[in-house]
Amino acid sequence: MWIDINAYTGNWPYKQLRNSNLAGLIGRMDRFGIDKAVVAGLSGIHYKNTQPANEELYSELKSNAAYKERIIPFAVINPAYPGWQQDLKKCIAKGFKGVRIYPQYHDYLPEDPVCTELVRICREEGLITALTIRMVDSRQRSWLDIPHVAGTGAGEWTLRNFIPLIRAIPEAPYFILNIANGLGVDQADLPLLKKSNILFDTSGRSLGFMPDVLRQYPVEKFAFGSHSPVLDYVTGMLRIESLRPDEAGERDKELMRSGNALRFLK
Amino acid sequence: MTDHSTRLTRRKFTAGLISSSLLVSSGMAGKGIEKKDGFDLMNEVLRFKKLDAYTTSVFTKESIAQHLDYADRYGVSRMFAANPMTQIELTPAEFRELNNKVIAAAKQYPDRFTGHFTLNPRFKKESLDEIDRCLDAGMTGTRLYQQIKINDPLYEPVIEKLASKNILVFMHGECQMGVGGYKMKYDAGKVKSISTPEDFADAARKYPEAMFQFAHLGGGSDWECMCKTFEPYPNIYVDTGGSNNEEYMVDFALKHLGEDRLFFGSDNSLYQSIGKIFASELTDGQKEKLLFKNYQRVLKKGGFHVD
Repeated sequence: MWIDINAYTGNWPYKQLRNSNLAGLIGRMDRFGIDKAVVAGLSGIHYKNTQPANEELYSELKSNAAYKERIIPFAVINPAYPGWQQDLKKCIAKGFKGVRIYPQYHDYLPEDPVCTELVRICREEGLITALTIRMVDSRQRSWLDIPHVAGTGAGEWTLRNFIPLIRAIPEAPYFILNIANGLGVDQADLPLLKKSNILFDTSGRSLGFMPDVLRQYPVEKFAFGSHSPVLDYVTGMLRIESLRPDEAGERDKELMRSGNALRFLK
Repeated sequence: MTDHSTRLTRRKFTAGLISSSLLVSSGMAGKGIEKKDGFDLMNEVLRFKKLDAYTTSVFTKESIAQHLDYADRYGVSRMFAANPMTQIELTPAEFRELNNKVIAAAKQYPDRFTGHFTLNPRFKKESLDEIDRCLDAGMTGTRLYQQIKINDPLYEPVIEKLASKNILVFMHGECQMGVGGYKMKYDAGKVKSISTPEDFADAARKYPEAMFQFAHLGGGSDWECMCKTFEPYPNIYVDTGGSNNEEYMVDFALKHLGEDRLFFGSDNSLYQSIGKIFASELTDGQKEKLLFKNYQRVLKKGGFHVD
């Protein structure tokens, strides 16, 4: 069984994306044998008021009965904008299983009180908080996109940017998605990450050679993710499937295909 | 620190929720799944022969071992390899030393590695001599970086010599705002001599008899811009290497450049370089061309035969 923990439906304002609705995503899932996907509304990243993106996702979900069994909805919440608590309540009522936050796009810091408050509520409600290191490679960004550009003073975010949040609420369940710009954190924070309830998806470029990555973190910390429709649908699978038996046995692969995701999504 | 003024307890927060059945089920029991079973990714990957037109190695024992492992894992028949490109002056002594390392590695693993050579056209005679020396040593093409733009007149003797031998002019290119003349107000802090797609187009217009390889479509820059710029120039080829693996990149390249101008390359981004090809909508025949036959055909023009 395969579960994709990092997928979207919706639009990206700077480039036409393919397969960017649920029908397109299901097509990709069918082609590559993926059973279920965790999906959020991509358009919400550029909305200040993100709730319409969650409503769009919910409407799309209701449009086809078959989606119900295969799509696991996550809400995009902007805790720096009024009314997010009501939005979150409504999303929980509609069956959303987690929250995706985008401090880079919604102009706050992960350690800001509004964000820690959101994550605290998510933990209490049994929701997963999904943190995305980056949406696109900044080297090909539009001039209208955020100014965090690799190689400049305002570089792209890294895992380190989210450490204060994880440190503030270490017991919350987190997905950490599309890991770019390294897996490195300060030595003092390594035990925190190893101990915390986190799951890295396999879509990000910082997972350069999985046998080495699996020596750094246990297999229980990884799950398949595609970052679709921004990134191709296969690379995240390849990081798991190309492992040799002496690098990851069938049990380990099954954990990364779906077992670890199921543990979080139960 | 938590702002306790906005802190909600679980009880307060969930008050008023629809407490009966959730409208969206997580569906963990797996009922109603209609996906197609039986897709075997590694079988699919290994069905196709591959020539890696852009392998980068430092040629230490460990680096060579990693590349051999990668080639075995993904069914790469041969790697066309050179040292990482670096922004150094690249004097004749420096480029000879770098090339010697590649020659030694290719001799050690003649069935796996073929070397690419670097040079610096600021040193005209030494560069032209180095082309002969490296071709005699079994190398098959260049690995040029950003010491000078590809359309700089200093490159003309090198391009002319390579064109006369039907050898690809492989050069690193970028297409990022603030680089090499492209929307420089968004300064990306890089040297100004990086070649942009428009620089390649300029060189391709001037030398229609030469063959250029723009490295690399997945190098992080704007691949739509690259493909649209190169579309009118049949003598510009691109490899799909690099760490960027955006969905639809390969399909877009096929649409704009056709199925005969695409090479497979990795530039050490092992997963992304393979993944983006097998996520594409290319037919088996188009994959065969991209992964092997196109590069084989171009090498053959220069007298190099690869099975």
